[in-house]
Amino acid sequence: MTLWAVALAGAVAVVFAGVMLFHRSLYVSAVCLLVVLLQTGVIFLLRGAPLLGLIQVMVYAGAVMVLVVVTIMASGGGAGDAPRFADFSFPRWLAFLGLAAALLEGALTLRGLGSAPVMVAAAPGLSAAFGQALFTSYALATEAVTLLMFLASLAIAPDREAV
Amino acid sequence: MNLVVWCVTGLLFAAGLAMTVLRRQLLAMLLGIELMVAAVNVALVHQACLLSDAQALAAVLLILAIAAAEAVVGLSLILRAFRSDRGIEAGGFTELHG
Repeated sequence: MTLWAVALAGAVAVVFAGVMLFHRSLYVSAVCLLVVLLQTGVIFLLRGAPLLGLIQVMVYAGAVMVLVVVTIMASGGGAGDAPRFADFSFPRWLAFLGLAAALLEGALTLRGLGSAPVMVAAAPGLSAAFGQALFTSYALATEAVTLLMFLASLAIAPDREAV
Repeated sequence: MNLVVWCVTGLLFAAGLAMTVLRRQLLAMLLGIELMVAAVNVALVHQACLLSDAQALAAVLLILAIAAAEAVVGLSLILRAFRSDRGIEAGGFTELHG
């Protein structure tokens, strides 16, 4: 059942990536990327990396995609803009497809509740080893990335001229 | 499972690469790069869980954080370019042409 859930999440991700590639509206592309990132988070969860799935949803599908959508809206939408910047409507069939996929994935995961945790627990010590690696051998890199994210957050602070 | 994950990874990466190469808007190019990063992360997580490699999972976490920081910097640069009335099309930036 886990295999089918992963296959479904992958198929939905590929479909939305295709729409993202060919649709002319940047807003639709951004929302499609959001769905792709959510589906990859589901794949992380089903493959046995729930913490990474959660971080993917929080950091990418949450914070970064909000920034992307705000940037698209800030850089377009006025009268006379090209349609690819001013079009903020989302196709209904895509929304229904995303919703149906989410429901089906939830049903598949719940139905295979007996097998999915077995898959997650294939390596019971993996999560503990993950945390240990993060704060021992990767401790310096973790601190460096923390500093990098702090510096990156300064990039969106308004400059003096704008204020 | 292996085949499914690798097919998904390949297709997502190809879509991201095509988006980066074929579309001319800076924002679309940035979205394509994010798509490629997500595709690579899927493959990394799959292999890390197959091999029970915790260090690879830690590397994926660092990649996620660095990619988020890169996206923030890229978006602020795009907004800055837009405010300077040069548009957000890649063709508007020709200073480095020889």
